[in-house]
Amino acid sequence: MSAEPPVLELRGLEKHFDTSTGFVDVIRDRLTGSDPSYVKAVDGVNMKLRENQVQGVIGESGCGKTTLLRTLIGLYEPTGGELLFHGQPTSEFTSDEWKEFRRQVGLVFQDPFNSLDPKFSVRRAVTEPLEIHGMDYELADIEEMLEMVGLTPAEKYLGRFPSQLSGGEKQRVAIARGLITEPDVILADEPASMLDVSTQAEILNLLNRLTDEFGVSMVYISHDLSTVSYICDRINVMYLGRVVENAPTMDLLSEPKHPYTQALIQSIPIPDPHYDRERAVIGGEPGDPINMPAGCRFKNRCPERMEVCDNKPADVTPEGMTDHSVACHLYYDHPLDESSTKRVEERPLTDGGCDRTGTLPHGSSVVPRGESK
Amino acid sequence: MSRLRYFAQRTLMTALLIFLVASALFVFFRLMPGNYTSLLIQQGMSAEQVARLETQWGLNEPLYIQYFNYITNLLTANAGDSFRHGSPVWELVKPRIINSAILVFPAITATYIVGGLIGALIGRYRGGLFEKSSIIGVSVFHSIPDFFLGILLISAFSSTLGIFPTSGMLSTQTSIMIQDDPFWHRFLLKEFWMHYALPFLTIMLYFMQYPALIMRNSVVEVSDQEFLHYHRLKGLPRFTLLRKLMRHASLPVITLYPISLATSISGLVLIEIVFNWPGIGRMLVDSVLARDFPVIQFVFLVAAVWVILGNFLVDLLYGVIDPRVSVGGDGGE
Amino acid sequence: MSDPILEFDGVDIEYETRGGTAVHAVNDASFAIDEHDYFGLVGESGCGKSTIADAVVGGLDENGAVTGGEIRYKGTPIQDYSEKEFNKNIRWTEISFIPQSSMNSLDPVMKLSQQAIEMAKYHTDMSKDEAVERLRELFDVVGLSESRIHDYPHQFSGGMQQRAIIAFALFLQPSLIIADEPTTALDVIMQDQILDHINDLKDDWEISMLMITHDISVVFENCDSMAVMHGGQVAEAGDVVELFDHPRHPYAILLQNAFPDVRYPDRELAIIDGHPPQLREKPDFCTFADRCPWSTQECYDGAPDPRPVAGDEEHLAWCVRADEMEELAADHLRKPEEEHSILEESQ
Repeated sequence: MSAEPPVLELRGLEKHFDTSTGFVDVIRDRLTGSDPSYVKAVDGVNMKLRENQVQGVIGESGCGKTTLLRTLIGLYEPTGGELLFHGQPTSEFTSDEWKEFRRQVGLVFQDPFNSLDPKFSVRRAVTEPLEIHGMDYELADIEEMLEMVGLTPAEKYLGRFPSQLSGGEKQRVAIARGLITEPDVILADEPASMLDVSTQAEILNLLNRLTDEFGVSMVYISHDLSTVSYICDRINVMYLGRVVENAPTMDLLSEPKHPYTQALIQSIPIPDPHYDRERAVIGGEPGDPINMPAGCRFKNRCPERMEVCDNKPADVTPEGMTDHSVACHLYYDHPLDESSTKRVEERPLTDGGCDRTGTLPHGSSVVPRGESK
Repeated sequence: MSRLRYFAQRTLMTALLIFLVASALFVFFRLMPGNYTSLLIQQGMSAEQVARLETQWGLNEPLYIQYFNYITNLLTANAGDSFRHGSPVWELVKPRIINSAILVFPAITATYIVGGLIGALIGRYRGGLFEKSSIIGVSVFHSIPDFFLGILLISAFSSTLGIFPTSGMLSTQTSIMIQDDPFWHRFLLKEFWMHYALPFLTIMLYFMQYPALIMRNSVVEVSDQEFLHYHRLKGLPRFTLLRKLMRHASLPVITLYPISLATSISGLVLIEIVFNWPGIGRMLVDSVLARDFPVIQFVFLVAAVWVILGNFLVDLLYGVIDPRVSVGGDGGE
Repeated sequence: MSDPILEFDGVDIEYETRGGTAVHAVNDASFAIDEHDYFGLVGESGCGKSTIADAVVGGLDENGAVTGGEIRYKGTPIQDYSEKEFNKNIRWTEISFIPQSSMNSLDPVMKLSQQAIEMAKYHTDMSKDEAVERLRELFDVVGLSESRIHDYPHQFSGGMQQRAIIAFALFLQPSLIIADEPTTALDVIMQDQILDHINDLKDDWEISMLMITHDISVVFENCDSMAVMHGGQVAEAGDVVELFDHPRHPYAILLQNAFPDVRYPDRELAIIDGHPPQLREKPDFCTFADRCPWSTQECYDGAPDPRPVAGDEEHLAWCVRADEMEELAADHLRKPEEEHSILEESQ
């Protein structure tokens, strides 16, 4: 462990959204004295991003990864926990420090078709961050950056507008724009998912190369484990607001510990007709983030569910491993008596899915509503 | 949340809103410079007469008692007496409301039906002369201020061509003739309809733009929707597809209809002045000029309630037409 | 093998744009789907695969038309059918459709049961009750709670909507189901379940299946036969295993290796330069030629003809250099024997 603080550190980061929307809801809550229900989009995430490291965050829709990204950018203020940049908590930032933060944290968005201002030429799009931060530059610097992202010859691209570029070219411009201020960190929200697969490979390779050459760290958010494995050193698996497993890529793929991670890996289609893939046994969809059950959020779909799973699992490192943490009751000793680790006999639903109200259609296990304090 | 709950909620909100508006008006009028009586003094009333009136109207009571009186009076449809005419406000205003209503409701309804049809046609058969001329037409009519449009129509059809009368709802002789007859007798007279034609036409031409253009955009948008494509692939016949298209496309127009009804009251003022139509808009202007406070206050309230009820109607309509709004399941991801 | 249920024979499809120019979306496409076959049509955006899917059920937009060749369903040419004929003979009773976005395809103001009743009304003489009963059965088959047939689409989650769409597709017991990117909008676990489900249903109900997708992994895992398209042209077609083991079209070769394989996260991905051409005129050349590392002048001398690969008439490659590809692309074709799948160690 180096003595330097990590570039980006998240300690128990939380972002909760209040769901009371109407006048009537607010009044009713006041009158009945009940707590407004929250969407706990991000509920206690820990992460340490080191220099030159590429960390992936994967999860299905609704897991909170987009909210996490927005909180990291500073679009949302965390409702709990801390975000530290080079060891400094962002909650104590002055506006100058925030501005510096913005310079040091570059962004690449998912949708190349909408993230570039259609009225800006390539040149303007790339120089805008420099202008905002009052950084000096020369045309040669811009051209160099464009060439680095593979838009050669650069002169040809400077005057072009997004409507004249292909999806892959647009995304390269977006990457150039993200890197132009020489940030310490890049936050990437599935930058390759809206591109054709042939372009995807190029963009992924490009990001790989750039993180090495520029020495930037990257947080790469995605739902696609295949692309994340290709590009990331370390992977965090998110489920309904929490990180359920965290390990170096190779370890995660070869020895996934959390049942959700296992299911994810088992669900990925393999481009090989000879390979007989063992399919995942879990069913359903991630539950409603508003009415989340107490304890482990995955328990309603988990094939390994035990009684003790009604309590929130701790983050532990399984025996025999280092640098691999998992939030699951399977992996640590419970001081309670034997019965708590007894398997829950009722099979959770393997099919049929979970609807929006959080109730399971066949009425098997009843979901306790809301989080009790 | 079920449909029933949705409607209950909306009804509650509407009632609450009306109550709030009435209260706001109370405060508003109390805050205005000068009070009821200063004007009377200006007009030459003696001090004792004023003092007597003040007691009679309860103006010497503490504010909260005045407020209480105000609310209870309203609830019993007692809006006080007009300064100008001395008769109860409600009696004065009621026929005016009816006069405005018989102008506005049919006019706006016709506007929406005709405008909607035009819009649907334009949306379906894009490009070409029909689309261009229709769009230009409705936009031109909407760009001319409504009162000016009224004046133009009068000058064209009344003065020049002499087809229609220039103003009023009935000629003075006729009004006197039928004043003892039941109110609805006037609708049987050809004269009434001749007077009715131009203001009706003015409203229609002026407001046509909204439904026409909105319907057009809506048709274009809905035509591209995937669920229509899916219906087509399911093998539903052409006519059924068209019907579905219209149902979805008319949603925005249908919801705009009560809003237009409600807000037309503002446009109505000028039109009523131009045509000398004895409606509530004109009453408002007249009473403001005459400083007839009880009438003014009440007409404001009527106007506000008119708008609120219009919006309430929209809420109800939408709850019926679009299940996404009233039946649970929205929100979430 | 059994007779083909659907055949594309030199089909051309064009769209007319506002300015009067035509876009040649599909050119000289030929392939065949056998009865009870699971056929995968794979290609990137703009290659024409969705156009082909639409054309089969007459779902092309007003400005699109089949301008050449024949589409044969159970032996009968259907490319010139009118709307009425499609409604009567093909749509839903013979061929049904699973569209890409279920969320957008379900009419939001109709209850699901109402949609089923409507389907029954226009194609059969089932009574309302019978239609509702059948929907109940189908909900059960696809794993949805029967009590929810009277719900509105927005009350269902994404995965459930997709299942409802599948239930609808099965409603009139068609012979062929076309699925246009049926799982793109879903999460990976749900996607897997749906695909698995489709597999089971296909077998249980003996339905032929045409799956359109951009994800070659899905095709390799689930389909029996496949075709790869590029720029409106079919590049290669044949049995899935054959195509996987011995691809001969450069695009098919490169495409396979452009997909990340989670078993070998360190493996280099193949890069395909450039992008497909704009097809303003009927292409008289191989549309992949500009991007192909092995293209020659011959590639521009006319659209390539299909050649059988290794004498197998069922496996065709539309490439003038198909016979040479085994050598030319040896690097790409070498399946790394020594590579160790990272997944083998997991439980």
